[in-house]
Amino acid sequence: MNIGTRKILDRSFTALGIGSIVVMAIALLIVLVPIITNGIGAVFFTGTVEHRKMLINEFKRGDTDKLAEEIASSDRYRSTVYKMLTGFEAELDRMPPEKKAEYKEKYSQVKPALQALLGPLPGDPEPMLTRFKYGQTRWEKAEEKLHDFLYESKWDNSNPNVMSKEYFVSRALGFEGTTLAQLFPYVKENIDHMLLPEFTVYWGFITDSSVDSHFFGGIWPEIQGTFFLAVGAMLFAFPLGVIAAVYFTEYAKPGFFNSMLRSANSTLAGVPSIVFGMFGLAFFINTLKVSESKSVIAGALTLAIMILPTIIRAAEEAILAVPKTYREASLSLGSTKWNTIATVILPAALPGILTGGVISLGRAAGETAPIIFTAAVSVGSAIGLADVFSSPTPALSWNIYNLASEHEAASQIRHVQYGMVLALVSIVLLLNLSAIVLRARISKKLKG
Amino acid sequence: MLYYVIQSNMIKKLLHLAALLIFTAVGTADAATNTIVLEGSTTVGPLAKSFATYFTKKYGVRVTVSESGSGNGAKSLINNTCTIAAMSRAMKEPEIAAAKKKGVNPLAHVVALDGLSIVVHPGNPISSLSKAQISSIYRGTITNWKEVGGPNARIVVIQRESNSGTQESFKELVTGKGVQITGNAETQSSNGAVKSRVSTTLSAIGYLGLGFVDHSVKTLAVNGILPSVKTVKNGTYKVTRPLYFYTNGQPSGLVRQFIDLPRTAAGKSMISELGFINQ
Repeated sequence: MNIGTRKILDRSFTALGIGSIVVMAIALLIVLVPIITNGIGAVFFTGTVEHRKMLINEFKRGDTDKLAEEIASSDRYRSTVYKMLTGFEAELDRMPPEKKAEYKEKYSQVKPALQALLGPLPGDPEPMLTRFKYGQTRWEKAEEKLHDFLYESKWDNSNPNVMSKEYFVSRALGFEGTTLAQLFPYVKENIDHMLLPEFTVYWGFITDSSVDSHFFGGIWPEIQGTFFLAVGAMLFAFPLGVIAAVYFTEYAKPGFFNSMLRSANSTLAGVPSIVFGMFGLAFFINTLKVSESKSVIAGALTLAIMILPTIIRAAEEAILAVPKTYREASLSLGSTKWNTIATVILPAALPGILTGGVISLGRAAGETAPIIFTAAVSVGSAIGLADVFSSPTPALSWNIYNLASEHEAASQIRHVQYGMVLALVSIVLLLNLSAIVLRARISKKLKG
Repeated sequence: MLYYVIQSNMIKKLLHLAALLIFTAVGTADAATNTIVLEGSTTVGPLAKSFATYFTKKYGVRVTVSESGSGNGAKSLINNTCTIAAMSRAMKEPEIAAAKKKGVNPLAHVVALDGLSIVVHPGNPISSLSKAQISSIYRGTITNWKEVGGPNARIVVIQRESNSGTQESFKELVTGKGVQITGNAETQSSNGAVKSRVSTTLSAIGYLGLGFVDHSVKTLAVNGILPSVKTVKNGTYKVTRPLYFYTNGQPSGLVRQFIDLPRTAAGKSMISELGFINQ
């Protein structure tokens, strides 16, 4: 090959390498930027007075005196709204029947739109569900609801051959000539006096339990559940994995049986996680009955089986990477085999073993499929350590899926879902970072 | 020597941690028996979740809810791994037989009524279909909105997975039990997923529990009648079904109280606030 071609090949290979790194970086950015920007919105946002009311009522947190002042000031503006409503209701009663029916129909949409914005109106029965007890707690949601209040969405189906198109009609126009017409500009004008938006930092999103299936409150039970499941899986899988790796590398005699075991282990590493989930349900819950229902322990055991092959492989590689001279030096000093393994080989292999362990921990924290049938629930309070043997738990990975697809009001609480995603990604990133730091520190000590 | 120190320290710490975990766990284990575990239907999900929140607040009992489908609820009750199975259909004969074999005696408690709502995109000019037309759409004999008086657009048929009680009720009430649903139908695994698919697809049709319907989709009248509190209750809306809680035998104590929630004032208002119908 002449030198020119070789140079071209060399350059194009470098370009390909740089190109793939750039593509990866862009992909990472595309994934991470929305996760971070949206996720942060769960903690930092523009909260309304309704949010502060909710915090005091549900969590006894906040400044009661300041809130009382705020409520008084917001009520000054709201009372005008309520007066307009009662005024119009009286006017409605005086109308001729056919006109009354027409306006009543339109008016029946106005009230719910206003309730969605400001919370229950005076005279409304006290709602049972917390979600209906407050108006919009977040300003950006309030703006959406304000639009719904001001404009009615209609569908233009004048052309029977195509699907209808959406268009908006001002509700104020529909009430022209009645006293209610002035309500709409008034609400639009004074909405910030009624809701008092204010920049809010809500750390409770991380430390609070959810209120009324994630409408308000935080995600602490999910974070805790994820933590219990991942650590529980580690408690089972890590010692077992290291012992198995020691057996494979130090004790097992090469042969058919050994190679069968190794290939079984490799196969296990490639089994889809949902299979482990079904296995966990059938084996740990229905056959062994480790608990009466789904439970943290059943989930942790299932996850442990899932991450075991990875831990074994990582530990094996780490042990094999220990220089032969270490072993020989130890044995030549009269040390026994077991003593050599425990005092020389394992400590020297520790960085590699731990890295494998922590990466598996991250995987256990992020998996959904193995815990669907063995541990995860969509609603449940934070559990104590004592309950891990009997209680299922909410967990981040499963609840993200649940909020994305199954929740009855998924579109209203997207911020919670994004917050959960950010929390999960941060936990996994932190675990991986700690693996790197741990590895560096131990390597340094060993060289020391 | 250094290695040994590192390692023995670590092992000691690990042992301490493990001992601590075991002791705290054993020490308070008996406090954990008061958990009510609900498993099953995604349609009953909002009700179950609200009841659970209310119950936990009032009695301090932990109640967990998972929404994995009616079929799963039944299986969990048969295997005795849940306290209450939430189901949007009645238990089938084979399920009851399987339960009896395992010494489980499934007992149905009606929670609320649900009008199974046939929904389309709000941009769809169609506002009413007959039961026969819906059935034909799902069997695949009607494939274009033109055939039922709408615009020329292929119908995107959305159904639920086989584990779903809503799917079973839909078949029973609309198409007939043994009928094969068209192979072109798309399967979604929860009410929420059906709703979001229909609300983003102009030519889609799907079905939802009444409590899941909101402004993002349009409910069709079936044989001219829209589902509402009145029409479901008096039976004029034909695609109506009860929602159930199943227990193993007559429940007692706190489970009994939980089962009886739908008949208390608090339970009734939760049911109607969530858009379901008190029986």
